[in-house]
Amino acid sequence: MRVEEIINDRDALNLFLKELIIRTLKLEGITPQDIEDDAPLFKEGLGLDSLDALELVVALEKNFKITIPDEHVGREAFASINALVTYVQRESKNQLNV
Amino acid sequence: MMRYDETEIIVRFQEVDEWGIAWHGHYIGWFEVGRMELLRKFDLLPRQFSAMGYIAPVVNLKCDFKEPALSGDHLVIRTTVLKPEKAALTFCFEIYRKEDQKLLAKGETTQVLMTTDGKLLYYIPNEIKDKIDSMIQYLNQP
Repeated sequence: MRVEEIINDRDALNLFLKELIIRTLKLEGITPQDIEDDAPLFKEGLGLDSLDALELVVALEKNFKITIPDEHVGREAFASINALVTYVQRESKNQLNV
Repeated sequence: MMRYDETEIIVRFQEVDEWGIAWHGHYIGWFEVGRMELLRKFDLLPRQFSAMGYIAPVVNLKCDFKEPALSGDHLVIRTTVLKPEKAALTFCFEIYRKEDQKLLAKGETTQVLMTTDGKLLYYIPNEIKDKIDSMIQYLNQP
């Protein structure tokens, strides 16, 4: 699937983002199925930390050409996988006009 | 390959433990000596960071101990910085004994950037990025 198609398909984007997180952060022993859609990505959820956030900011920029400008926006975008899917769809539409 | 900035110290009597070798925690302080000397050259000392409205807390630290340093040893601390691929600064260190050029320890520290009121920065501000670029240019000189 092309990036534009993934962005428009919420389920495909959900899986893509889970795989991106696992690959980018080298999360050993974790599969996409292990990541709950509504669980927080940081601290008590998937247990990610500040360096992980910075890695994800770069990975999202490379894959979708979208930026997460600061921690305030990051709190919204990284609240959960569902929140990240919504954020990527919304911001990508501005970038790619899909 | 990036070159290293070098600074020297002498192991003080009170820095060795009861086995007569430098206590492991002091190596981290010696890394700091090297980092400060490098930062000083580019106006990036902690108080200068603060004056710009930022702090840079260490979030990761690694150190491999190869050989013990002894009281009175003359040490060379070699410090370099990696080109940032995200909004974090990673400094790499090597500590040598000057007399026999033996590598005693090597390690690295990673710092994130925050505003002084505690917000994590996702991008390196231009005023800091310019100074980091100058530092990398300096460390790339043959």
